[in-house]
Amino acid sequence: MQPRQRRSLEFVLDNLVWFMLLAVLAIFSATIPNYFQPGIFANIIEQSSVLGVMSIGLALVIIAGHMDLSVESVAALSAMATGILFASSGIGMGITFTPGWLVVPASLLTGMAVGAVIGALNGYLVVKVKMNAFIVTLSSFIWVRGLVVAASGGRSAQNLADEVRFLAIQRFLGIPLTAYIAILCFAGFSFMMAKTRFGRHLLMIGGNEAAAFRAGIKVDKVLMIAFILSGTIAALAGWLLAIRTSGATANLGTGMLFNAFAAVVIGGVSLKGGVGALPGVYAGVLLLSSINTAINLMGLPAHYTQVIHGLLVLAAVLLDTLKQTIRKKLA
Amino acid sequence: MSEPLLVLDNITKNYGAVEALRGVSFSIAKGEVIALLGDNGAGKSTLVKIISGGLEASSGNMQFEGRDFRPKSPSEAKAAGIETVYQDLSLCTNVDVVANFFMGRELTKKIMGINVLDEATMEAHVAKAMASAGTRIPSLRTKVEHLSGGQRQAIELNRFVHWGGKLVLLDEPFAALGVEQTKRGLEMIRQVAAQGIGVVIITHIMQQAFQVADRMVVIRQGVVAGDVPTKQTNADAVIGMITGETLSGAGPVAGVGEEQSGSRSEI
Repeated sequence: MQPRQRRSLEFVLDNLVWFMLLAVLAIFSATIPNYFQPGIFANIIEQSSVLGVMSIGLALVIIAGHMDLSVESVAALSAMATGILFASSGIGMGITFTPGWLVVPASLLTGMAVGAVIGALNGYLVVKVKMNAFIVTLSSFIWVRGLVVAASGGRSAQNLADEVRFLAIQRFLGIPLTAYIAILCFAGFSFMMAKTRFGRHLLMIGGNEAAAFRAGIKVDKVLMIAFILSGTIAALAGWLLAIRTSGATANLGTGMLFNAFAAVVIGGVSLKGGVGALPGVYAGVLLLSSINTAINLMGLPAHYTQVIHGLLVLAAVLLDTLKQTIRKKLA
Repeated sequence: MSEPLLVLDNITKNYGAVEALRGVSFSIAKGEVIALLGDNGAGKSTLVKIISGGLEASSGNMQFEGRDFRPKSPSEAKAAGIETVYQDLSLCTNVDVVANFFMGRELTKKIMGINVLDEATMEAHVAKAMASAGTRIPSLRTKVEHLSGGQRQAIELNRFVHWGGKLVLLDEPFAALGVEQTKRGLEMIRQVAAQGIGVVIITHIMQQAFQVADRMVVIRQGVVAGDVPTKQTNADAVIGMITGETLSGAGPVAGVGEEQSGSRSEI
C-alpha cells in the first residue's frame, strides 16, 4: 500500500467518529422532518453536556489501560450531595450564602471533593493493592449508588438556588452555559492529553505499562492521578446534572454509565488502552445525542431508546475490533 | 585495553538452597563488547538482572567506574548509566518515534505558565541522533507499530547512546529478528561500542557472538567457565566451555589468534 493511501486510511480510522457524526446528521436532516434547524442542533449540544463531561473521566482511565465503572454512581452522589446541602425543598437543607453566588463554588467544590475521594479510593485499590480495576470500580458503582439511596432515604431534593440555576437557564448563542462548561472541559483535557507530559505518559502507560515503567515513568503516580481525575470529573458531571434538574433524586443518572461507555468506544478509544483522543469522544457523545433526538422527533416510544443504545454499545465494540483488524493489516 | 568500566567480584545469588550464581567474576572495559554465553539455566539472566538492579546479589562486590556499586532498583542502575534492552522491546508502539525516544524524559517549554511538550526540539534531537548513528527511519512521526523490528531495535540502541548510557545490557535482543535486521542490529552494537560504551550481550547464537564481541564470557552452573578474547578462540572451543566438555577450558585455543597477552582465565 502506498504511504499516502495508508496515511489517508489512518486519518479516516483516527477520525471515523466525526465522519459518522456528519453522515448521521446528514441522513437525519434529509429524512426526518424538522430535524434540520438550529434549535435541534443546540438541543443536541445541550443534551451532550452531562454525558460528555462524564465520558472525559472514563476515557482518561480507559486510555491508560484501566476501567472506571463507578463514574455514573459518583456523579449521582455528587448531585445528591449538592441537592441535600443546597436545595431548599424535599430533603434539601437549603444552605445559603451572602452573597448568594457563593453557592456556585461551594456546591461545585463539595461535589468534586466527594468525587475525588472515591476516585482516590478506586485508585488506591487498583494501583497499590493491585486489584483488578473492573472489579474495584464495579464494586464502587454498586456501593456508591447504595450510598445515594441511603443518604436520600429514597426521596429527592428540589429547588436549587437561582444563582446556580442561572448556569442552566442563561443561554449564549442559543446554548446554555452548562454546555459551554462541557466544551471547555473537552478543550482543556484534550490539550492535557496531547500537549503535556502527563497526557503523554498516560497514553504510553496504556500502550505498554512495562516499557513506561522501565523508562522511569512513575506509573503508579500517573494512574493514581488518572483515577482521581476520573472521579472528580464524574462529580462535575453530577453537579451539572443537579443544576439541570434543579435537585437530585435517588435514581438520578441511572443508565448513564453505559451511554458514557458507548460514547467513549464510539469516539475511537480502544478498550485495550493506549489508543484514542478526547475530541473523538465528544463526537461520540454528540452522535448519541443526535440519535436520541431523532428518536424523539420520530415519536418512537422512549422504550426503544434503550434498545438502540444497547445495540450501539455492541456496534461500538464491534467497530473497535474491526478497526484493530484493519490497523494490524496496515502495520 | 582501557580502564575497566564494571568489575564483578565473586558475585553469588541464592534462592533459598538453590545457588543460581556461585561466584562470578569478570570485568568490562569501556567500548568493549562482551558476549555472555551459557546454556539455559546457567545464570546469565540472573547476572544481568543483578547488574541492572532488578535483583540484588547475595554476596560479592561490583565496582562501576571505580566506585562500589549495588543498585537496588532499575531506576538506580539507570541513573548510574546502565541501560538494559530486554528481549521483548521496551517501546510503546502506540506512540511515534520521537515520543518513544524521549519516553519519561520529555522536553517541555513554558507557554503561559504551562509546561507544554516541545515537539519541535525533541524531533530535532531525534533526527540528529538517528542521523549520527546512520539509522534511517522514513518519518519520525510514524507510530512505532508501523516500524520493522530492526528499526525498533535501532531506536532503542540510539536512545541509550543519546542519553549518555555508559553500559548497555542486551538480553537476547535479536531473538525475534530476521537475518537482515540482526545484521543491522549487530552493526548498531559496534557503533555503540565505538563511542566508548560498554556492551554485554546475551545470545544463544554462536555466530552472532563471534561477529560482534571482543570477548566471550561463558557461564556454566553459576560460575565463569571461560573468559577469552574472541580472536583467540573458535566456536568449537566455546561450545565445549558451554557444555562443560572442556573443563575450565578457559584459555586460548592453540594456533588461533596472535596476541596471548590479553587472555585471562578465571573460574
